[in-house]
Amino acid sequence: MRLSEHEAKEIFRAYGIPVPMGVAFRSPGELEPHLGTFGDHLVLKAQVAVGGRGKAGGIVVTETARAIEQAGILFAKEIRGVPVREILAEECLDIEKEFFLSIAVDRSSRMPLLLFAESGGVEIEAVAREHPEAVRRMTVSPLLTDIPPFALRDLLGGMVKDFAPVVNKLYRVFREKDAVLAEINPLVTTKKGIFAADAKIIVDDSALTRQGMRRGRAQTEREQEAETHGFSYVDLDGEIGVIGNGAGLTMATIDLIALYGGRAANFLDVGGGADRERVKHAVKLVASVPSVQVILVNLLGGITRCDEVARGILEADVRQKVMVRLAGTNEEEGRRFLASRSYTMFETMDEAVKAAVEAIR
Amino acid sequence: MIFADRSTGVLVAGATGNQGAFHIPLMNTYAREVGGKGVVAGVTPGKGGQSIHGVPVYNSIREALREHDARASVVFVPAGAAMDSVMEAAYAGLELIVAITEQIPVHDTMKAIEYARLQGATVIGPNCPGLISPGECKLGIIPSHLATRGNVGVVSRSGTLTYEVIHELTRAGIGQSTVVGIGGDPVIGQTFSDVLERFGEDRETKAVVLIGEVGGSLEEEGAASTDLSLVAYIAGVTAPPEKRMGHAGAIIEGGEGDARSKIRRLEGLGITVADRPGEIPDLIRGFL
Repeated sequence: MRLSEHEAKEIFRAYGIPVPMGVAFRSPGELEPHLGTFGDHLVLKAQVAVGGRGKAGGIVVTETARAIEQAGILFAKEIRGVPVREILAEECLDIEKEFFLSIAVDRSSRMPLLLFAESGGVEIEAVAREHPEAVRRMTVSPLLTDIPPFALRDLLGGMVKDFAPVVNKLYRVFREKDAVLAEINPLVTTKKGIFAADAKIIVDDSALTRQGMRRGRAQTEREQEAETHGFSYVDLDGEIGVIGNGAGLTMATIDLIALYGGRAANFLDVGGGADRERVKHAVKLVASVPSVQVILVNLLGGITRCDEVARGILEADVRQKVMVRLAGTNEEEGRRFLASRSYTMFETMDEAVKAAVEAIR
Repeated sequence: MIFADRSTGVLVAGATGNQGAFHIPLMNTYAREVGGKGVVAGVTPGKGGQSIHGVPVYNSIREALREHDARASVVFVPAGAAMDSVMEAAYAGLELIVAITEQIPVHDTMKAIEYARLQGATVIGPNCPGLISPGECKLGIIPSHLATRGNVGVVSRSGTLTYEVIHELTRAGIGQSTVVGIGGDPVIGQTFSDVLERFGEDRETKAVVLIGEVGGSLEEEGAASTDLSLVAYIAGVTAPPEKRMGHAGAIIEGGEGDARSKIRRLEGLGITVADRPGEIPDLIRGFL
């Protein structure tokens, strides 16, 4: 789960990483009483979790006298399709130089990977592409609680004295907050010292419970409802509702729909042990998507009981046509049961997907 | 066949939980069919002395190893304690640890995998269906009736999509040497490279099906590391960026790891990439 910049900066502050003075607010009126704490200018930053926020107009430098008006304009905007619900107002920094510092879970080494570059901000991606050697990399054994000094020297080079404390603190954030990414871009130097001008923390979804955080970031009502049933669910923008078991099989089903010229309306993985009740809820949920004209159920498993699944589909009793591909225990019984109620059954995934796409045409 | 065979004695950690108790008899029915050792003991702290479908349960792995000969562990322990069980198995000297459990915090996984590596143990998973070598052994939850013995290796980040592929292979009359689900998490003990190295040393395996998905670059790294004949399939061509598609590892981060560029890189390495799972049997047949 990606935290907002404001949430990430609160964590930084608690860990002693310097952040600019600032205040987060959800309406222009909430900013008003704080205006006196800023100088002549301030910066307004839309709290939207999308990349390229600055280029999309999500960051505005304004005279403090005009901040309320400017905040009103920013609240009315969408930044790369995401509405602005919260803004962070911050003091303007007199930046001398920008740097890049990041700690991520690295899949290849299976370890935390530290990245540091003596350039930062929006340019870092171009720098990484054109001069990959300019981004210095160090892995740290996950069995160590601290970064060894040699690794800090290798990572930071001549900047080790200035930045070692920040790197150590960010590493503590990374470990203690179960982050899969903790990033400061840009990390800036100013006459008043160094600051994390931006902050990005992504917390491991599998660690939210022990972090005392709630997922609660489902974007649509259906995504929220899916969460209560324990389904993995993502809204897409097509006409074929998709229910599968297992993430890979469900993704492959959606890809196959596209290959045959159709479009999936959603991704819904019912998970292991798809029983009658779960299947019923899943079918109903997908049927509630207004754009869904056909529902495709693709369930395969050794332990999935097809007769139970068949009953779940029948009990959901939806208006749309349901195409079913079932393989598993009691397969024949499940098939017979559905066939007797004029459901269309398929033996292979290919056949089922083709039929669903045809049905739309 | 790779990793294990019919002589491999297996412990099940988390034996008394729902998953453990459900899968012990399935693994042992298969072991009886093929004349293998199967699950010799279960382990659940505090439940020592019980028995699950005739398999004795012990309080610790070391206690179980005093009575039984085992060199592998299959872990069904709940997420909060699963990686502790992996470290316990590595400490006790088990060679192979298959972690089925899903939703394990990735920081726990990194620690346990590094600890096991230093102890000389091999970890498969977590968040994986385990492995099956048809006619030899099954360590995990892959439905054995879908698989048949043969010369094609299968290595996959997915669970049910793997079942789909072995189902199609078997229907097409193409048997498998070993099927390995390496797991859907971002950090896993055995990557594609590791498993392909084993397949490379296996005389039985003539070609390998590699099933990947969006996220990371382990597929390309694996394909680049081997001389084996490969057919790849990548799920998630239509996955929207920065949305988690079920698996914790299946998320496209900052333009990295999207399926199309993954497929392009694989094709750049000269690998045959299937457009759909149903095409895999015909493509792999060309290499047999």
